[in-house]
Amino acid sequence: MLEWLLKSENYAPVSDKDTFINKSILSFLKLVSKIRAQSSYDKDKLFVSPVFKLVFTLLYIVLLSVSQSFTYLYMMITYIMLVLCAMPGKDIIKVLRGSLIATLFTVIILLPAALSGNRYSITMIPVKVFATITAVNILSYSTRWDRIIGALKRFHFPDMFIFVFDITIKYIYMLGEFSLEMLYALKLRSVGKNKKKYASLGGVGGTLFIKSREMSEEMYSAMECRGFTGEYHVYEKFQVKFADYVYILINIGIVSLFIYFQGLL
Amino acid sequence: MIELIDVNYSYEGNKALNGINLKIEKGQSVSLLGPNGSGKSTLLKLINGLIFPDSGVYRFNGEEITEKKLKDAKFSKSFHQRLGFVFQNSETQLFCSNVYDEIAFGPRQMGMDEKAVEERVGDCLNLMKMQDFRNRQPYHLSGGEKKKVAIACVLALNPDVLVLDEPMNGLDPRTERFLAEFILGLNKAGKTIITSTHNLELVQEISERAILFDEAHTIAADLQTHQLLDDIDLLKRVNLVDEYYHKHQEHGQGHFHIHNY
Repeated sequence: MLEWLLKSENYAPVSDKDTFINKSILSFLKLVSKIRAQSSYDKDKLFVSPVFKLVFTLLYIVLLSVSQSFTYLYMMITYIMLVLCAMPGKDIIKVLRGSLIATLFTVIILLPAALSGNRYSITMIPVKVFATITAVNILSYSTRWDRIIGALKRFHFPDMFIFVFDITIKYIYMLGEFSLEMLYALKLRSVGKNKKKYASLGGVGGTLFIKSREMSEEMYSAMECRGFTGEYHVYEKFQVKFADYVYILINIGIVSLFIYFQGLL
Repeated sequence: MIELIDVNYSYEGNKALNGINLKIEKGQSVSLLGPNGSGKSTLLKLINGLIFPDSGVYRFNGEEITEKKLKDAKFSKSFHQRLGFVFQNSETQLFCSNVYDEIAFGPRQMGMDEKAVEERVGDCLNLMKMQDFRNRQPYHLSGGEKKKVAIACVLALNPDVLVLDEPMNGLDPRTERFLAEFILGLNKAGKTIITSTHNLELVQEISERAILFDEAHTIAADLQTHQLLDDIDLLKRVNLVDEYYHKHQEHGQGHFHIHNY
């Protein structure tokens, strides 16, 4: 065995700036754990078919944006908050954080108009923004992405489009994990002063690019071997359950209230 | 040297380590065994300071390792120099344009002059019997060659502890044997070796102590390797081997194989 390997290294590191690696690790960790958390859902929360959740969330966006009635808007917020209450605590925090930040930005943007005398916008638009973003976030946090993508099939989205969407999410996760491992490796071996930091990060990027190309070629070959000829069909079982009927009834009520408060009758 | 006291860790609410108590002394060679998903790789990440316990204490050389402490760049660098980690997937460990630069990455950072770096890289290449690979691109090497380069990269830092996550995965028998001999040699040279593996034939050659994890993410047994491998009922109980697994003793030396029928 070599002489230097028999001895313990007498090494005292010098300081160097590694913020970029640490921050990159953190952001990749967030991305990977977000997707991992999505896929670890045992079943969709709120027990309603993703197809109906998607349809009615889109409907809420339309109704909330065209509504001119404060009463209707506050009734919608009450309903959305009730739905939110049925979700786990950590999801409620995430949903509300997103909605409140967006609402705050809207208020800031509308503040000059309010100061010049236009009070209507600042009382109406932030409420609409809050309700819309909360509704969309509820859909996002209560339904697995693959189920939402699968639901698109009911709206006659091309199968190939759904397939590409599905694969994209899968590869964001896989390449995210791969990048995370590479950044970990870089961090573990960055034991001193790195004069060529950007060269190392370039190496990580380059390897990631080669890896993604290799993975896409391998996947295409695997698909060909399993009989892929350029056509892809999404098969999904669609079943209307009791919870779906209740959900549809509630939403008929929401549309009726909209018609009533808008004076369309 | 390495001490874990009642360590717990969870991924997104899923338990990965459950009340782990463990002590590894300097110069030991320890194997971690257990079925897939039992927490071996998580433990290796924790030992290397990539993740931190939700509760419990991790000490390295008597010093508690915490997230706060590893935020201190000097301490973190010194810690990572003393602990070398060879990942399960060697591809993720290689990011330089050629094998020479890959191995030289660590020594250069340690402030060695270029002559000393060249000597160390040469030594590592000789150890791995890869003298002809110095100008090759790491990405275009075979699986076994990548593994050898990854080990050489870590070895070039001359760590006190070498942590290997499934080092024999996907390797041909010749490379497997080479690595087993190599790990044994490093241990004889005084390095502490921690290996996570499924290879029951090689585990008894490379380690004197084996720690068995079960599916509840706890340590089911911490014994001398031969004692653990002799306890086939225990191996079956933790789902590491199937019901047909057995050992032949008639030729003096234990021989393992699996009968499917």
